[in-house]
Amino acid sequence: MPFLNHGSYRIRYELDGPADAPAYVLVNGLTQYAELWSAYRDTLTARHFRVATFDLLGQGASDKPALFISQEDQIAALGLLIDKLGGGPIFLSGISFGGLIALRYAIAHDGRLAGLVPMSCFAELSPQLLLLGNAMRTGLILGGTSYLQDLLLPMNLSDAWLEPLLDKLDSVKRQGWLVNDVYALQNLMESFLDFRPLTPLLRAIKAPTMILNGEFDFLTPRALHETLRVQIPNSSLVIIPRGYHAFTLEKSALTADLLARFAEDVLAGRWHGNQSVWIAPEEPGGALAAFPPGYDHLRAIPTPRVAP
Amino acid sequence: MRELLGPLTSDGCVPPQQQTRVAAFLISAHGALARQYALALPIRLEAAWQTELNAQLYREAEFVSLLQRATSWVPDAGLGYLTALWEMAWLPAAVDGITDRSMALAADLTTLAHAVHAGVRPAALLPLEANAHDAFVAALRRIEFESGRLLQAQIVFLKGPQLAPFRPAISPALERRHADVRRLWDETLEGIGIASPRAG
Repeated sequence: MPFLNHGSYRIRYELDGPADAPAYVLVNGLTQYAELWSAYRDTLTARHFRVATFDLLGQGASDKPALFISQEDQIAALGLLIDKLGGGPIFLSGISFGGLIALRYAIAHDGRLAGLVPMSCFAELSPQLLLLGNAMRTGLILGGTSYLQDLLLPMNLSDAWLEPLLDKLDSVKRQGWLVNDVYALQNLMESFLDFRPLTPLLRAIKAPTMILNGEFDFLTPRALHETLRVQIPNSSLVIIPRGYHAFTLEKSALTADLLARFAEDVLAGRWHGNQSVWIAPEEPGGALAAFPPGYDHLRAIPTPRVAP
Repeated sequence: MRELLGPLTSDGCVPPQQQTRVAAFLISAHGALARQYALALPIRLEAAWQTELNAQLYREAEFVSLLQRATSWVPDAGLGYLTALWEMAWLPAAVDGITDRSMALAADLTTLAHAVHAGVRPAALLPLEANAHDAFVAALRRIEFESGRLLQAQIVFLKGPQLAPFRPAISPALERRHADVRRLWDETLEGIGIASPRAG
């Protein structure tokens, strides 16, 4: 198990795929760990990408600072991993909290990236997200990791995914419960206490950017992704049909295919963001459909778009 | 080396040798915290934050009482030496860099409590098939769950304004306490054939 050194801390990482191939770096969400990207490793290496995964500080097998974890340290750790990949094209993707870390890296080091894929992501703490985050932190404090998982599972995954697992949820939750420590999760959440909106900085991201948002994402709804689409010049927003916040877990084959296609299109010079809005196919390999012109993609019912 | 306690007995219980060693460690650590809280607790409470001291004292005492009664104890020749080793590690050591001695000792007690409550997760060692109706299994789960709640007082104090000027002293002291507690807990587990979850 290889480690990077950042100050006195160790960051566990894993590299797969050919060393001279374009690389995908995948950044975990808050309660995740690197093994959850295994389906992505398989798909992306089969499509001739190198794949880098790691545990953020406070997660999995990486060190868990006892009292404070700063987002700057997470970005520095991500930078160390990217530096390790050499000078070839780098595609960076992250989910939720990891998407935010990826955004912050892209703002500071845009020239290093060939492409960026923020997923279930945000650049601002809207009142709803702020209050939900506070409620999750209180839930963690009062009920531990298990209670936080109980909150997140129904919020972030669909009935279709949950229903067959209802009688074995304890075993579904177990690995996440084992690898996550309450104090480390709390430190990760509290790294938002002095969070400042990234919106004014997003225009610094010039890299091709594909923003992925689940159709039914309740935690980080469409409006938060719209901020990214509007502010990042070379972006497009792709809506994952029937996807919730954790669509990367639930629809891993589809999402990995979209990541591969995005990078292949960028490398071939076929990709054009145009701040466009798309609907992903239901299955890997299907065609993306342009969001119907004239309708408002921020609404859940078909409503004619009002000119800004 | 196994990753979890066991092999479990036919009725889903943790083997008595493992129960004895794990319970002895936990009683030593939480007992030390209970003693130190008892010394820190004034006869009459004058400030709101002291109510938390009272709560911590009685929760630590509860853990000790719980383990004394829920454990299937068996003779363990190694316990004399190990207990001496553990007790030495829990001794107060005022945090360097804090000139107010009572504050330095309070900070030290808090770092020890943080390290024990955050770093020792006995329930994470239980196999899925452990008998939920067994008293020892229930005790480990209760201690881990309540430790997560007790931890909040330590987090609030260590991150709070009183210690903010001493952050450069607090962070290394806390990391040191964590490393010490982690090492002793890992050695305790290795002594009963359990590989540390951090060893991989």
